[in-house]
Amino acid sequence: MDAAIAVRLDLPRAPGKASIPQVSADSRTDAELIGLVAAGDHRAFEELHRRYARPVLGIALRRIGDRGRAEDATQDTFASLWRSANRFDPTRGKATSWLFTVARNAIVDGLRRRPEPTVEAPPDVPEPGPGPDDAAESEWVSWRVHRALETLPDQERTLVELAYWSGFSQSEIADHVGIPLGTVKTRTRSALRRLADELGDELG
Amino acid sequence: MSDLRDLIGDDVDPEELNRLQRVHTLLEQAGPPPSLSPSLARPPASGGDVITFPRRYRPLAAAAAVAAAAVLFTVGYLVGNTGPSTEFTVAMSGSGGASGSLEIYAKDHAGNWPMRLHVDGLAEGKYALWLTRGGRLAEPCGSFAVAAGRANNVPLNAPYKLRSFDGWVVVPSGSKQPVLTT
Repeated sequence: MDAAIAVRLDLPRAPGKASIPQVSADSRTDAELIGLVAAGDHRAFEELHRRYARPVLGIALRRIGDRGRAEDATQDTFASLWRSANRFDPTRGKATSWLFTVARNAIVDGLRRRPEPTVEAPPDVPEPGPGPDDAAESEWVSWRVHRALETLPDQERTLVELAYWSGFSQSEIADHVGIPLGTVKTRTRSALRRLADELGDELG
Repeated sequence: MSDLRDLIGDDVDPEELNRLQRVHTLLEQAGPPPSLSPSLARPPASGGDVITFPRRYRPLAAAAAVAAAAVLFTVGYLVGNTGPSTEFTVAMSGSGGASGSLEIYAKDHAGNWPMRLHVDGLAEGKYALWLTRGGRLAEPCGSFAVAAGRANNVPLNAPYKLRSFDGWVVVPSGSKQPVLTT
């Protein structure tokens, strides 16, 4: 009950009724931006941060749990990205895969440098939850989906987040956002189409 | 778990419905993306802030900075080692008569170097003290404000291995242009 209330209090802001703006003024690919970062381009670095800050923080939270340490790991990841951008070779793999690897390595390095404080010996029982392979698969899915969400126009992203994670029905979303129920469904469908295009490889 | 048809309506052809259903499943697997706190609203500044000098003066500036830092660290240590807990003192200078001195106290057991920065002649505003390495801002040591026409004396901290740096600079907040250097 408390969790449901907490979720509803943390709702995304309702988007306006104006027409949906372009996804992003910056149409450069991730690979192009990494190349520019390698040459010291701060604007390209900021654009990559805009696109990937939430995906990086997402996997950091999955690995670390603690919010403060996960935020430190996120900053470490972008510092590492700045330093290592010149090592990205677009002929050897996709930019999003390379960024995923940079993030995972930075998070693991951060855990080694700042090990989680312990107050007592861990219990001698198997860890609950998924095994390493499942966890890695789950991290990758979150990474790709959260990155894909960043490509949506704000109004569509808000609707998706409300529809999937607020606990609201579509009718409640229509009331919250102040648009007709039919428009909510049309925009949600449009958002899922964009996500399908963006996630083409993951759809199998 | 919500039903996809509830979200997008019924008038979708089967092929598209199948495609969107897979997206729907991935969204449910991924869970909500985290919200960003204000501290993550921008990328880390230390990623590559470069203190820019005119190109023709860069070799001279770099050599002068290294030499000045070495001399001032040594002199600062000898002069500043008279107090009970001061490890060394570093002098700083800038344009327009601005000056400063940085008194570094003994390192604590956790690796912090407590410091007291005295600045004079800086314009009113907010500033930050940074350690530098190779002509770049490397690590921050804290921020402080200066009131018009006043000398300031502010406590700061450097939780780093000082040997791995070659000097300090004071820059206005949000700027990379030093107003005081060692």
